[in-house]
Amino acid sequence: MPIGFDIDRNLCTECLRCLAACSLTKLGRIQPSLARIAVKRQWPEIPEIRVCRFDDCPGQPCIDSCPVEAIARDAQGLVLIDGDTCTGCRACVEACPYGAIRMEPGGSEVAYKCDFCGGSPACVPECATGALARKGGS
Amino acid sequence: MGRSSMQDLLIRIDLSGGKAAPWAVPEQLKGYLGGMGYGTKILVDEVAPQTDPLSAENKLILTVGPLTGTTAPMHPQSCIVTKSPLTGTILNSYAGGFLGAEIRFAGLDGLILEGAAPEWTLLVIEDERVSFHSAEAVLGKGTAETEGYLKERFGPDVRTLSIGRAGEKGVAMASIFSETRTFGRGGAGAVLGSKRVKAIAVRGSRGVEVARPEEFALLVRENMELLKTACAEEYNLVGMFSRVGTGAGMGLVNGRGALATRNHIFGSFDGSTKIDGYAYADRFYTRAVACYGCPVHCGMLHKFTRTDGSSSWLRGPEYETMYSLGSDLLNADPVVLAEANQICEEYGMDTLTTGVTVAWALEMAESGMLEEPGLDLKFGSSGAILGLLRKIGEREGIGDLLARGPKGAAEACGGEMDRFMQIKNSGFAAWMPRRMKGTGLAFATSNRGACHKRAPIGAEITGQIDMDAYEGKAALVKEIQDRVNAIFTLVSCRFHEFVTPPEIYPRFVRAATDREISLEEFLAVGERIWNLERLFNIGAGLGRADDRLPDRCYQPVQGDASEAAVMDRARFERMLDEYYRLRGWDEQGFPAPQKLEELDIPEYARLGAR
Repeated sequence: MPIGFDIDRNLCTECLRCLAACSLTKLGRIQPSLARIAVKRQWPEIPEIRVCRFDDCPGQPCIDSCPVEAIARDAQGLVLIDGDTCTGCRACVEACPYGAIRMEPGGSEVAYKCDFCGGSPACVPECATGALARKGGS
Repeated sequence: MGRSSMQDLLIRIDLSGGKAAPWAVPEQLKGYLGGMGYGTKILVDEVAPQTDPLSAENKLILTVGPLTGTTAPMHPQSCIVTKSPLTGTILNSYAGGFLGAEIRFAGLDGLILEGAAPEWTLLVIEDERVSFHSAEAVLGKGTAETEGYLKERFGPDVRTLSIGRAGEKGVAMASIFSETRTFGRGGAGAVLGSKRVKAIAVRGSRGVEVARPEEFALLVRENMELLKTACAEEYNLVGMFSRVGTGAGMGLVNGRGALATRNHIFGSFDGSTKIDGYAYADRFYTRAVACYGCPVHCGMLHKFTRTDGSSSWLRGPEYETMYSLGSDLLNADPVVLAEANQICEEYGMDTLTTGVTVAWALEMAESGMLEEPGLDLKFGSSGAILGLLRKIGEREGIGDLLARGPKGAAEACGGEMDRFMQIKNSGFAAWMPRRMKGTGLAFATSNRGACHKRAPIGAEITGQIDMDAYEGKAALVKEIQDRVNAIFTLVSCRFHEFVTPPEIYPRFVRAATDREISLEEFLAVGERIWNLERLFNIGAGLGRADDRLPDRCYQPVQGDASEAAVMDRARFERMLDEYYRLRGWDEQGFPAPQKLEELDIPEYARLGAR
């Protein structure tokens, strides 16, 4: 079954629980600015939700954009960045139509993105309004 | 094992010297847990009760608590404690939004603002680094414009607070805004203005952990389930807030004859269904917006067309504002109400005390005691309402007199103070003591004046207890005041305990900080803070004579459901006597030495020494 997110940004209240859960899962601390999902404020208009769409992304241009083949789609449908191979050239950041790939701050800059938490994204159960739901996965 | 969410670190910002330094939380402060506890203890330790609130000797302390920034739901707020220029009492004031979480992500438990800057200043806090910038570019600007400027200049990810022209000009009821959320009560905006701080931007990169992550996660799940259930229930107040905002309850209040109308003469308002939460949701495009981490999302953002035909947005009005700029002014026009709210937001003014001041001015004008060229000062007149609000914000014409707060306005205008709906010089929140006796006692005894945050409003208005009864209310008010003070050390949203049993708080404190505390000890912290505030206020010159209701409360209400409801003066005084007794205070309301011993604060008796 294809994987991805079912997103209705009209329902997003900008509470940022998804970002808190993401950073807690990935970093062991809550730091929303480093989450792999972003809620781009467009106050007072509805925000943008920036996260990888996986199988819903036509052509998955990040994969081809990478000059060192650090990005690949696995059998489950997860599009993952190999941080050891990544040279930090930012080509994928530019290529992503959803603004969902970011650069890690600090000296050793590599690209990072949502990895669907391996199949059960930590952000989804936190969403009180259903703005963010899961398609596929477990 | 993770790290405690509390960082034991505040930043002291010396505005006079343009310097900032980290300040490690001393051991004896830690027992106050955070939030209001930290703010109160620091203020009473460092600011003498007689201090002029607008002098450089006053301090403004902005704090967060053990749950701020974590995934504990309904803990987005931050707390300001200072000496109020409006009431002359110690003040605690709260705003939701995202500022609190950002302070926590900066690795801080709070900021202490001291002295006064020589020039108008913007403060930028990045973790423990503080930089000072000229506020020249935004001087005179509204709060939204000022905060927009901060995001443009210092980055879109900073979280902000600001004052408007009211705070710059020392309007007694000036408030501090934070991305449309408001530290509303008590004139904290004027204190910030007296320190020449126009705005603050915060960006944190440290993040937050908790001491016991697994235990904490289970508590969060338990709490989220409770809230999810509450939000799905048709008649749950928090559920109603979740759907249409805090204005959901206006119909209920009106039906019970407790909707203060026309400067509290009436207890119900014909126009209530035109300005309540449902009316706004029906009539205007509405988008629910939340504070940090909150599944309730009671903030309602509306798009509306202004009277001049332009398109505009407003987050709100909140329920209390629907009263103060709506029913209390006989204003049944939701657009005028929204514009009135916008003026308060632009200038940075408390909608409550400001609205109550307008109500008083309109009544004085009716009696021929007050006038203003160009304004037809009548209840329900949009020109009068919007015009007076602007003039107060500008300190222009009669607005300059009204901007002094109730007492100053009555003295300057020669109007009658008895008809000013205020306690300790703070305007009434949206509730009627004549109809709700416990709430009346809570208003009268509030340490910050006419405060609705520590009143038995829910129990009285829903009929859980007899709203007109006097019996048992003294004990109930004391219990609520102590409990709410305790949860304000965690800077919980006031609505959190509407659905969450108090037993959860000590468990949350342990999971977040590893501090073991029983429920009894937790509540005792609240009582200790209450007594510290009281001692400070006594030192500032207040006493039993200030725990009083305005005369209108002893005159019968007019209007349908509450016709003839009244507060009996003798029974009110007996209720007050009983309240003092239960508090362990003498008949003048001074905490007895043995009470201070029991609360482990005997050394603070000096605060109240006369």
